Amino acid sequence: MVKVFGKRVRLFRPRTIWIRKLVQWFFFLLIALIAVNHTLAESGSAIPVLSSASLHAVCPFGGVVTLYTLASSGVLVQKIHSSALVLAGLSLLLAIFFGPVFCGWICPLGTVQEWVGKLGRKLFKRRYNHFVPTKLDNILRYARYGILIWVLYVTAISGTLIFEAYDPYFALFNFWSGEVAPTALLILGTTLVLSVFVERPWCKYACPYGAVLGLTNLFRVFSIKRAASTCKADGACSIMCPMNIAVDNKTVVRDHQCISCLECTSEAICPVAKTVVFTSGGLK
Amino acid sequence: MTLTSKPLAAILFIVMFGGISVSSALGWWQTESAKVPAAFTEGEFAGQANPADIRGSYTFGDIANSFDVAPDVLARAFQITSDDPASFAVKDLESLYLDSGYEIGTNSIRLFVAFYAGLPFDTTGQEIYLLKPAADILLADATLTPEQTAYLQAHTVEVAPADVEAAPAPSEESAPETESAPPAPDPTTSSTEEYLVKGKTTFGELLQWGVPQDVIEQMIEAPMPDLAMTVKDHATATGLDFETLKTQLQAEVDKIKK
Ligand code: SF4
Repeated sequence: MVKVFGKRVRLFRPRTIWIRKLVQWFFFLLIALIAVNHTLAESGSAIPVLSSASLHAVCPFGGVVTLYTLASSGVLVQKIHSSALVLAGLSLLLAIFFGPVFCGWICPLGTVQEWVGKLGRKLFKRRYNHFVPTKLDNILRYARYGILIWVLYVTAISGTLIFEAYDPYFALFNFWSGEVAPTALLILGTTLVLSVFVERPWCKYACPYGAVLGLTNLFRVFSIKRAASTCKADGACSIMCPMNIAVDNKTVVRDHQCISCLECTSEAICPVAKTVVFTSGGLK
Repeated sequence: MTLTSKPLAAILFIVMFGGISVSSALGWWQTESAKVPAAFTEGEFAGQANPADIRGSYTFGDIANSFDVAPDVLARAFQITSDDPASFAVKDLESLYLDSGYEIGTNSIRLFVAFYAGLPFDTTGQEIYLLKPAADILLADATLTPEQTAYLQAHTVEVAPADVEAAPAPSEESAPETESAPPAPDPTTSSTEEYLVKGKTTFGELLQWGVPQDVIEQMIEAPMPDLAMTVKDHATATGLDFETLKTQLQAEVDKIKK
């Protein structure tokens, strides 16, 4: 802020939520270090202080897939520990209030897709993230619920973590360990390549955990709201949205794919103050 | 109430790390298994730890915590020379005997512990091998039924771990054999070695040996993986119990090759 003719004027306004990027970096590094430390621990040379937990112990989705075996036989699915249940509970609590902030702020796989997406944005400019025909895109957005049901079913009947063989998140942080199935590596590779064209393709079309948290968008306490009275209808919010949500024709975003990144708000891309906001109340 | 990014970031950290701290204090934050095998749920041994649930991630020390088998007894039985046998991980056993022609791994430990501690263990249809020192310990210190003794004698092999010199040939006295018991298998017999499902066996080899693809797919509960992939790697990646899978596959191979 500087003073011009006695008035406080903001000369520079960041067009993005920079603190979200910092938080994403933090969690990416944290999980990467834990994964490396897990490998080091197996050879007895773990870094002290830092956790050497397995990736399954720090992934909240494990807490979801184990719910059936926990309820039916009182045990956790193989390789899943109670920490995954705790993380699932905390992520759900956050989601009930603020939507899938886990996806938009914490999940390192989402972060990596965003990083790769920067290349796509440079290459394709405005065409980036608009390659998939709308009709097909609308249908594909529901595929993640099918995947969620399949994962829950096969885990329940087998009592083992079948999804590990397809999980790009596990592949991302274990590719050096020799424990990753080729299918998981293939899915990770495909996700990264697609990220050059589409923002967060795994999150949009395939992530079963995103499907779980996405449902909270329908009833969450804090939502993205647009004040129609001050809106200039420039469409900036919709163009910026990584999940291609048409924010500019809504007063409240209840889309099941919103990840609470806040990139559409007046704090970031929207040029009019207090017009697109993250709030629990109403707007004029 | 309206929120901006900075308070949201703060809430996120407070909830995640505060939640982890509280759950730790309450004892809910466990990132490792307790390494206690499931207990028998019925019968004479109800409530006692079940050796069939010993996992590869357990150490000899973990086993000693649940069963009346000291780590140094396990170390002697499986020819492990270590100053700290309690920290030896069961999953490391298999790699020591990888080139022996026999699968000496988690199942061998389960069998040994069950026989040593006098606990039930179902060996039906399973070919589980034990080393001669293990058999000697069992014959000397454990109370075995005639069936268990016969199984033991038919499944005792004399092989050395990768970093230990080969043990001397068995003497008549040290390798007792009864008329009725089948002879202990010879590790050098190529016909048994040729079709033995091991950690290094690939899905391609299984197909070559004549195991039908649909049978394999049924066992691994998944479509056929890359043919160059080893059964062990696949089991590790998908969370299946390798020992169980190996036993099922071996039974299929034996059916075809008999
Ligand atoms: S609607 Fe706004 S907060 Fe939700 S995903 Fe799109 S840009 Fe992010």
